[in-house]
Amino acid sequence: MSEQTYDWSSIAKHPKYLELKQKKRTFLFSWWIGSTIYYFLLSLLSAYAPSLFKVKMIGVVNFGYLFILSQFVMCIVVALVYTKVANNQFDRLTDELTQSLQKEGAI
Amino acid sequence: MIGRFFFVSLFMALFCSSVLAAEPVKPAASGTPNTTVQAATVAAPAAQPVAATAAKPIEAPKVAVPALNKVRPNRGITIGMFGVIIAITLGVVVWAAKKTTTASDFYAAGGGVTGLQNGWAIAGDYMSAASFLGMSGLISLYGIDGFMYAVGPAFSFIAILLVIAEPCRNAGKFTLGDILSFRTSAKPVRAVAAVSTVTVSLFYLIAQMVGAGKLMQVLLDIPYKVSVIGVGILMVGYVVFGGMKATTWVQIIKAGLLMSGTVLLAFLVMAKAGFNPVTLFTDVVNSPQIQDHVRINLLKDAIPKEGFDYGQRFLEPGLFLKNPLDQISLGVAWALGAAGLPHILMRFFTVPSAKEARKSIVIALFINSSFFFLINLIGFGAALYLTPQLISSVDKGGNMATLLLAQLLGGGAGSLGGDIFLAFICAVAFATILAVVSGLVLAASAAIAHDVYVNIVMDGKADQHTQVKVAKITSLVVGISAIVMGLMAEKENVVAFVALAFAVAASGNFPVLILSLFWRNFNTAGVLSGLLVGTITTLGLVMVSPVMTYPQQIANGAKKIITALETKQAGGSVLNEKELKVLEKAQADFKKNDGGTSMMGLKAPLFPLKNPGLVSAPIGFIAAILGALLFREKRAEDMFDEIEVRQITGIGITKASDH
Repeated sequence: MSEQTYDWSSIAKHPKYLELKQKKRTFLFSWWIGSTIYYFLLSLLSAYAPSLFKVKMIGVVNFGYLFILSQFVMCIVVALVYTKVANNQFDRLTDELTQSLQKEGAI
Repeated sequence: MIGRFFFVSLFMALFCSSVLAAEPVKPAASGTPNTTVQAATVAAPAAQPVAATAAKPIEAPKVAVPALNKVRPNRGITIGMFGVIIAITLGVVVWAAKKTTTASDFYAAGGGVTGLQNGWAIAGDYMSAASFLGMSGLISLYGIDGFMYAVGPAFSFIAILLVIAEPCRNAGKFTLGDILSFRTSAKPVRAVAAVSTVTVSLFYLIAQMVGAGKLMQVLLDIPYKVSVIGVGILMVGYVVFGGMKATTWVQIIKAGLLMSGTVLLAFLVMAKAGFNPVTLFTDVVNSPQIQDHVRINLLKDAIPKEGFDYGQRFLEPGLFLKNPLDQISLGVAWALGAAGLPHILMRFFTVPSAKEARKSIVIALFINSSFFFLINLIGFGAALYLTPQLISSVDKGGNMATLLLAQLLGGGAGSLGGDIFLAFICAVAFATILAVVSGLVLAASAAIAHDVYVNIVMDGKADQHTQVKVAKITSLVVGISAIVMGLMAEKENVVAFVALAFAVAASGNFPVLILSLFWRNFNTAGVLSGLLVGTITTLGLVMVSPVMTYPQQIANGAKKIITALETKQAGGSVLNEKELKVLEKAQADFKKNDGGTSMMGLKAPLFPLKNPGLVSAPIGFIAAILGALLFREKRAEDMFDEIEVRQITGIGITKASDH
């Protein structure tokens, strides 16, 4: 499978790698879980709190409609936040890691 | 040669089992009342008990309802537009064919697709004709519940964005099997991954083929068989000659067309409402036809309840989605299923780096979210300007709403503008179908050719020429099987097939994929038990779920109508012509279906949910985890560092072109 072999386990112990891994995991899983909870709130609220969905907010447009709308907004916000964090933080850390590994001759 | 024999027999077995899985439902389904148009494979509501309307004496609607029973596109213009799409896409195929010489070209377009292109292609791979036609139809008939339904497919990209796209780009090559077999015993894992990929892709493909056949039948007025074979030949042509490159461009073209059509329709709806959404919804609430539709057809109130706002009710949930658990279960399938679909996964191998993979899924997510949001304006616009009565008179499931709306907004039936706009939207639907089925054929054949033939049979020792040749032959065979199955499944309830594909992806593929990438102790036994248990549980639950056809239930429904009408007759009143027809049909339905059982020999569903996700996904996860813990494997654990470093950093990335 692997054409190029490196000492993977020593890279896996590199402090920069551990920092990157920690940051990535925390970010990805917390946003994933958070957005999933928000998504399931839609089915749960519409089924168990239908009266909330019927509250009129803007003219005839009710809370339910706006809440559904907010789901689409949520998807786009997650994508934007992730792009920003990945471009600024994860990519920078990855570059730093690769550079320091190259300096050490590990890759 | 034993290898070749094994390969051929495995393929035959896969083929036959899928055929068998599709066959026995046939007699049962012929009695279903909703054999009209099932183009809306995902969204088509299961046969609504329309019969109940006949059982109660219903006050005649106060408002005149326009009558219509067919969409009539201008054949010349429509065929012309189809011709243009076919000509352009075939041009792409000729161009792509010249550049497809290696396996990496065939499966991953040589890794040379940019993030922007891939984003459009992913969107093109995912948004189906079912969403384009079915979801707006659902909204036009059931109001806000249809809009709620559209959130699932939009949200489904979040899991791909956060935990699938980049890691898979960094750790894989062409297929699901590549990632799963990274640190496990390659052969059994690849074999099972291939079976699962082929199962998911074929079920999805059959549903699309049947939908396509029915749609083309309506739009072009050609026989079902001709339309399935026509779509099939184009799809096989794209994939066999142009591989991933042609497929990518067909998907990009389709996504561009689909978004133009959607934006244009939504824009025209908003223009009619003076670009004020509140005006649009106020008009919807005040529409007498919508009020009548909600009261008579949906809530079955023969006499209006004092002070009840039937128009406002259209904007409140519960008219279509009635069982909360069903909704949550479907939600699980969306949230995890899309991330386990092999044809979507495969798209991430076409870009050169994780950064491009990220860019592509972000772009795809924007397109996808905008599309599913705009659908709501089209749906409510259709309800307001066409009326639900007219939409359901053309097609009970509302699948023709978008098309009728295009005709109306273009200038009305018979006008040149109406004809052109309708033909354009028909062409968009046609391009949509072609793009989705091509992606599916490619994914299924990659699993067979790359995982089974090259890596299991030939031990990975096949030169580029052989690999491409095998891939092409496999695509041809997969394509022909899909055509044959599409022809046989004409009368099937294809909604079940889509539910099945998503649920298998969510319960089989997704758990093992994520555990492979993120859990050190995961191993061969985990992959095998996760995929097998997840897939079999899903198949089992769908087979005994309410999405199958239950003749006894049809008979019971018919019996109710017969009793109601006969009671009326016995009471001395004379039935009118319409009622007599209903009675006749009910008697025929009763006779045909009474005592009948579903293909599993059941009179009623054993499992209450239409989509098994809520139960099968946790079972898939538990099976995968238990399997891994019961049969620990040191090598897989040792190799975790490698797959983890690769997926997180992209170090040592095997560019698809290096292979």
